[in-house]
Parts: sequence; structure tokens; C-alpha cells
Amino acid sequence: MSAYTLAGISFLLFALAAAGFLTCGSLVRMLMFLELMLNAANVALVALGPQPASQAYAVMLFAIAAAEAGVGLALIITLASTFRTLEAANIKELKG
Amino acid sequence: MIAAAVYFFGGLAALATLLMIFQRDPVKAAMLMLAALLSTAGLYLALSAQLLAALQVILYAGAIMTLFIVALTVMPQAWRDHQPKNVFTRVLGLAAAAVLLTELVKVSAVLRTAVRNVDFSESGVLGLARELFGRFAFQFELLSLVILTSIVAAVTLAAKRREA
Repeated sequence: MSAYTLAGISFLLFALAAAGFLTCGSLVRMLMFLELMLNAANVALVALGPQPASQAYAVMLFAIAAAEAGVGLALIITLASTFRTLEAANIKELKG
Repeated sequence: MIAAAVYFFGGLAALATLLMIFQRDPVKAAMLMLAALLSTAGLYLALSAQLLAALQVILYAGAIMTLFIVALTVMPQAWRDHQPKNVFTRVLGLAAAAVLLTELVKVSAVLRTAVRNVDFSESGVLGLARELFGRFAFQFELLSLVILTSIVAAVTLAAKRREA
């Protein structure tokens, strides 16, 4: 199978997730699309990288993704309770 | 056969992500994200990365999705989540993503001649374990620090919220 096709699949997944990230206004949704972007990068790594090493990197990226989701959601919950909104456009103050 | 599986699961993941963009209900969007993550697990299986497929189901589709569902449940604001009405911003976002995709495909043109062997193999897990506990042992152990830091950060943020 052509590596170009595999790269194309992961790039399509990444671009669709990026489109979602750029068009949605809700913070939770943005974090979801961010996870999908990381997931697409993982697919590219596994599909195109040298075999055992790329899978080891992918396992490490899983842990990073889990940590990122935990901290991201904690931040979003704190922001939501401070500003009473989840829309990124409504959060305009730096000092909460 | 394996190539067909790669196309099938890749297409399914792309379709789920596309539907997620146009889904207004946050819980339905989360379910579509789950579909995309499970399709990616199938993709890993087709690429002979069996351990990664299992980890994808347990970590992404299990732990991270549960976290999102809990977050959606505890935040009543999420239920009143409405799509922005500004059409210009949405078109601009879609155009930026299209440009990104075009550039990525253009850059990867060097891969046109490269061939990836997708024959089924079950030796992947042993090789992966050798890498994780051999060459990448230090990096693997450092990850525990990253996770510990993120736990401390999440607990601190939650404690601040309780005090407030």
C-alpha cells in the first residue's frame, strides 16, 4: 500500500478536526477537536514511521493526550464557573 | 483485504468527524467523537498495531470520552451550547482547514514512491515492549512525571473552584 495514501488519510482526519476546531465556538467542543487532531497525528506516526519505534512514540502520545484532556477540562470547568459561559467569544477578560 | 480495511476505517473516522462539525447537540457530538476514535482503533488493527488498538479503546474511547461526558454533565452551560451565527468566521475556518490540507498533501508528495507494507504481523507487541523498556525507558518514565503534574494541576484547579 502506498505511504502517500496512508498520509492522505491521516491528513484528511487532521484537516477535518482542524476545521471543527476553527469553526466551533464552544470550549468543550474545541478541546474535543483538539483531541481528534492529536489522534490524527498519532495515525500518521503509526502509519508512516519506522515500525516498533513509531508505535512506542504513539503510546507516549496517548499518555500526553490523557494528561492534556484532564488539565484542559479542569481549566474549562473553572472558566465556566467564573464566566458562566462556555462560548470562547464571550470570554474577553484576562483578569477573571 | 487489509487495504480495504484501512480505507473503510479511515473513511468512517473522517465521516464521523465531518458529522461532528455539523452536530449541534453536544452529547451527540461526543458520541460521534467516540465513533471516530473507535474507527481509529480499527485503523490501528489494520496496520498491525494491536496493542495500540487496545490502548486506543481503553484510553481514548474509555477514559478520555468518560471525562468529556462527565464534563458535559456537570456544566449546564454546555447544554445551551449554540453554534456561532457569524457565517464569515465559519467560512474562514473551513477555508483555513482546506488550505492546511492542500499544503499537507503537497508537502507529502515525496511519499508518492514510498510503499508501506501492511501485511498482517503479530510481532508488534514484543518489539514495542523492547523499545519502551529499552531504548525509550527514560522517556517512558518521564511520562509518569507529566501525568503526575497534570493530576496536581487538575486537583488544584478543582480545589480553587470549591473555595470560590
